[in-house]
Amino acid sequence: MSTSGMIAIAGVGTTPFGKLPGRSAWSLQAEAVRNAVADAGLTKDDVDGLFTEPQFSEPLLLHGHVLGRMLGLKTDYLSTISIGGATAITLVQQAAMAISAGLCEVAVCVYGENAKTGLPMLFGLAQMGRGQADDIAYGMAGGPVMEARSAMRYKHEYAVTDEMFGAVAVSFRHHATMNPAAMYRDPLTMEQYLASRMVAEPLRVLDCTIGASDGGVAIVVTSAERARDLAKPPVLVAGMGAGHNLDGLKDPAHYTHFAGARSSQRAYAMAGIGPQDVDVAQFYDCFTSTVLITVEDYGFCKKGEAGPFALDGNLKVGGRLPTNTSGGMLSEANMTGWNHLAEGVRQIRGECGARQVPGAEVCVVSGHGGFQAAHATLVLTKGGR
Amino acid sequence: MTELVVGTTPVVIEETRGFWEGTLVGELRVQRCTACGARQLPGGPCCSSCWSRDLVWEAVSGCGTVFSFTVVRHAFHPSFADRVPYVLADIRLDEGPILTSNVTDVAVEEVRIGMPVRVWFDEPIEDAFHTPLALPKFRPE
Repeated sequence: MSTSGMIAIAGVGTTPFGKLPGRSAWSLQAEAVRNAVADAGLTKDDVDGLFTEPQFSEPLLLHGHVLGRMLGLKTDYLSTISIGGATAITLVQQAAMAISAGLCEVAVCVYGENAKTGLPMLFGLAQMGRGQADDIAYGMAGGPVMEARSAMRYKHEYAVTDEMFGAVAVSFRHHATMNPAAMYRDPLTMEQYLASRMVAEPLRVLDCTIGASDGGVAIVVTSAERARDLAKPPVLVAGMGAGHNLDGLKDPAHYTHFAGARSSQRAYAMAGIGPQDVDVAQFYDCFTSTVLITVEDYGFCKKGEAGPFALDGNLKVGGRLPTNTSGGMLSEANMTGWNHLAEGVRQIRGECGARQVPGAEVCVVSGHGGFQAAHATLVLTKGGR
Repeated sequence: MTELVVGTTPVVIEETRGFWEGTLVGELRVQRCTACGARQLPGGPCCSSCWSRDLVWEAVSGCGTVFSFTVVRHAFHPSFADRVPYVLADIRLDEGPILTSNVTDVAVEEVRIGMPVRVWFDEPIEDAFHTPLALPKFRPE
């Protein structure tokens, strides 16, 4: 049993990204929801499902209930989850499941954060639980430090060069130069990349996602049938997948093989496609190394070949696998994967201007979190009207 | 953005108590399941291989190799500002489990994947609840 093609994304809403002093996370979430619902040609009263990721900067229980009250929604189904970088896609998957199960008809999925200018952000490790966060005693604080050991092992096993990591950063920045919403729009050269400060070897500052951004993203999910009559061309959820490497970096294999292989295979199978059918990819890019490993896990290259593939310009619009056409989290904004979803929807709708992939009909989107633990995949395709 | 600074001392809980007790007597201990023989770190409420609760803490050789590492050059937490650059490494113990720690007593440029290392124990400290412990660290063999 599968929901392939039965569920659609009918609307997408974003706020400005960057430094937005005076805006609370709540206000950014509300703005994203309002924009997404309007984009779909719907109204507040049509929304009967709400799926939220709580902001890191103000952790609380019942996040979705608080936001739903602020928005004056009357939802039948509501869910709040937080599984790191896989949350955005997982929430859309849950919305699709709730709709197909008849629990709601029009769901809004939302995230918004004022991490750049707002309330203090807790160190991630501190939230992982007493006794499980002891590695901080050795200096394992900060995302790059946690990820660098995967990147180092990947370089070691597959003779990956610094320039191959750099090719990811340079390609995504190239896309960001064509994206008025991106926080970093100056062109980036390989020389500039190689000259950037090393933070946790082998990761340079330009290998890492933008540290914190203010902004919000919301996605309206409904049945393909209902989406057909709405304001924008429907984008079908053709395939969904997920996988979790619960051992993380306690399992030697997980340094270089993410759960993305399982997650993508399931999503491809549900959509009835393979990697050869994909026109454009939006891959979770917390780090450049993460992107290369994901390209391999998703079957676009054999293991160890994503670096040369990136160096040949294949991740750029015009290459074989245009990836992170908005600039992603390396250059557009750190929306913990939500901006990848927004860009995927807009690529399929043909709304991306200079960075549009011509004839994009199939987009694969990945979410990746928890330092090799969590992974989720969506295959988006063009819907008929 | 201001960051709320959290402590960097381990917190001893029931599942890790045997590990930390070992560090005070100069033993690197790994949790072993007496039902199936699997070894695990960090300690847990059951054997993650067979779910048995028959777990013991057992001293291991303290020898291993660097499975992966990073040279940290930017202090993401103020406690490490005077330590950069330092090596954070995942040590694959000869007995199997991977333990995250530091590699010391060597120039950071010389640390390599596959380098044989041996444990040593830092001066005892206390966790937030005054439980004593000593951090195990590694140096080249």
